[in-house]
Amino acid sequence: MMRNVGIIGVGYTPIFVSKRKDVSIPEMISEAVDAGFRNTGLTPEDIDAVIFGNMQTFEGVNLPHLWAVEHIRALGKPVMRIATGGTTGMSAFHAGYYHVASGMADVVMVVTYEKHSEGDAQVGLMGIITPEVMTMLQAGIDVTGGSGMGAIGGGSAGGISFQAMSYLNHSGASIEHIDAMAAMERRNAAKNPYAHLKDPECTAEKIAETAMVSYPIRFGHICPTTDGSTVCILASEEKAAELADKVAWVWSVANCCSDATTGNLVDGMITDPAEQRPCMIAARQAYERAGIEDPKTEFDVIEIYNGFAHQTLMFLEKLGVCEVGEAHKLLEAGELEIEGRLPTNASGGVVSTNSIGTSALNRVTEAALQIMGKAEGGHQVPKDVHKALAHSWGGLMQYVAVTVLGDTPPRK
Amino acid sequence: MDGKVAIAGYNISPCSSNMVTSRERLLFDLTTGLFEELGIDRDAVDTFIIATNDFLDGRTISNVFLDPPIGAYMKDETKVEMDAVNAIAYGWMRILTGQYDTALIVSLGLCGHQISPYLHIDYTLDATYDRQLKLLNELSAAALQAGSYLGKYGYPAELLDEIAAKDLGNAALDPYQARRLDGISAEEVGKSRYLYEPLRELHCYPPTDGGCVMLLASEDRAGELTDKPVWILGMGRSIDKYYIGDRDLAVSPSTTQAAKVAYDMAGIKDPAGEVDLAEISSIFAHQEPLLAEALGLFEEGKAVDIYSSGDSAIDGRLPVNPSGGALGAHPICSTGLIRMAEAARQLRGEAEGNQVKKAGVAVAHGQDGMCAQQNAVVVLGI
Repeated sequence: MMRNVGIIGVGYTPIFVSKRKDVSIPEMISEAVDAGFRNTGLTPEDIDAVIFGNMQTFEGVNLPHLWAVEHIRALGKPVMRIATGGTTGMSAFHAGYYHVASGMADVVMVVTYEKHSEGDAQVGLMGIITPEVMTMLQAGIDVTGGSGMGAIGGGSAGGISFQAMSYLNHSGASIEHIDAMAAMERRNAAKNPYAHLKDPECTAEKIAETAMVSYPIRFGHICPTTDGSTVCILASEEKAAELADKVAWVWSVANCCSDATTGNLVDGMITDPAEQRPCMIAARQAYERAGIEDPKTEFDVIEIYNGFAHQTLMFLEKLGVCEVGEAHKLLEAGELEIEGRLPTNASGGVVSTNSIGTSALNRVTEAALQIMGKAEGGHQVPKDVHKALAHSWGGLMQYVAVTVLGDTPPRK
Repeated sequence: MDGKVAIAGYNISPCSSNMVTSRERLLFDLTTGLFEELGIDRDAVDTFIIATNDFLDGRTISNVFLDPPIGAYMKDETKVEMDAVNAIAYGWMRILTGQYDTALIVSLGLCGHQISPYLHIDYTLDATYDRQLKLLNELSAAALQAGSYLGKYGYPAELLDEIAAKDLGNAALDPYQARRLDGISAEEVGKSRYLYEPLRELHCYPPTDGGCVMLLASEDRAGELTDKPVWILGMGRSIDKYYIGDRDLAVSPSTTQAAKVAYDMAGIKDPAGEVDLAEISSIFAHQEPLLAEALGLFEEGKAVDIYSSGDSAIDGRLPVNPSGGALGAHPICSTGLIRMAEAARQLRGEAEGNQVKKAGVAVAHGQDGMCAQQNAVVVLGI
């Protein structure tokens, strides 16, 4: 039967930056692994199983856990490699959760990384859709509409601009709200020692001066490509009591995927990448499993996976933590700030730091650190955190994973 | 371990070296075929786990376009980027928590069309050294392992011919295998061309297209879905060092570790005596006895006797790869799941020409990496 599972430790590489030329891929990963052990006082002998995640086409290394096996201290242990796109880190976390919840492991280490400087993320991302476009061309199908545009538009920004336009139209938010959202996250990032793009003085006006990449997406709305690695250690209730002073408990996990042909014509209607039904389904399931009755009032901290700044606003609405059309008003009222009523991406979010394999896991680890009161550098929210929500999206904007954390064990 | 998990059903594709299909079509056919057999639809599946590899699929996030054809849209799906036995491990754990009653494990490997089937292993190499040096590749490493294994016990190279002849003979009887060489003898195997001494073409896996799906179910649900459940009795997974020079290639410590965990869970104390048959992902001939030793099924140093006496043949004392194993087909990522499905087929008494006499407990094995660096072992029973 289901056992209680808690997060007992987090490890980050000392910095998240554009280019780590001083270390190889396994060396960089080992920095986060060592930090995980240092922060918890655990040794490799305490770990029963390792979950490993990244996006292998971004660096061109197939199954990198094979190469990094000794750097992740996994010799002789079960290692499971998980990859689901942007969600990889959270999907890996969920795999770790099920290892412990099922009783098949007591202590699990989830290891994620991305070293974008050794490859090209946009080339990797084009690989999602290019084979489909080739097939469409061979079959004589018009690629100027639908998902073909995603590829023609160039990597992810092409498809994302559809989503942002649709969101602005539905929500009543304006491009200036996206500027303000990005600015808030850059300011938060300045308080997070493990963030990449930091600007303590960032303003919406400053973001508005950046180049328009694909309307309405400006350069300042877009995440960087980051080198970094994150480790999260999970334990059963019994082991957590033995090994940790502070624990962030996993109340529930859920994920959902939809048809990947987002943006295609189906029955005469263009399917909408801002509709995000998988997000609504995953959130509803996660809340049911966690016993969350009113998502609008129960969460003290929220971490959203936002490769692009409009997504913070869009997913707050899709997760049901505010009404549709309300997110940009919360932003205007300052409620999303670190000191606000609903602190959102106190970490600076993915828009400030995106080493893709880690990014979805960082949403969980940042929420967990807020519950433990261990968020460093001034981004700890100034209140007790009882419940936190972590979100991530991946695939072709059609895959969503959600995790709910709490400060007490979920089941007696 | 609380609760039991069963294989409620499976569907293996007939494998080939040049399958005229798409990934989507192949998995749609396999999934709908299984649903039809079990009399269910996608609503009966609680969670989906896909085992594919982005490098082999030639695309990023290769599960994205597979969700509609397997019926996973608007449902829970994740991807284990390894041999599908590991996806089975994940589905099994998800069911053990009680949160899910059924898990559909989906795998495919379209590897027959590639320029070099060995390329995906080249890309697992240390990118800063081994890959640049270009000495190591899947074949050269396998040849080092074969030499190392033969040399350890002073076995003649002809042992590889015996192993391959046994497997290929079994494969010719199996409806799902790609390489079908009816009545091939060890002498004929020994005449095939060298790919990398001591490995000849017929000692090595053929580049293969294929796939396999399997539905796992909780004890209660399994009773409703099938009257022939095959139970997962134990499961173990482990990994060896990466650097070839750091490893003794003639042994497989990770297989031994994984097997110990699986046997302990299944309550098996004497595997050679208690296991009725084994389906092993030996993608090169020498790996079959090597892995069978690591699994505790063969006595070390006795491989020549075992193969010459027919002990491991379909009608032998302990049949190993009665399906013909991975020398008949190796759709990478699916191979271990096909081994499990073939073992289940034996346990259900449905293996027709490949059927062994006694099938109560079976061991299935899957591997990843160069020279079987990472291994997963499952014990199945009825």
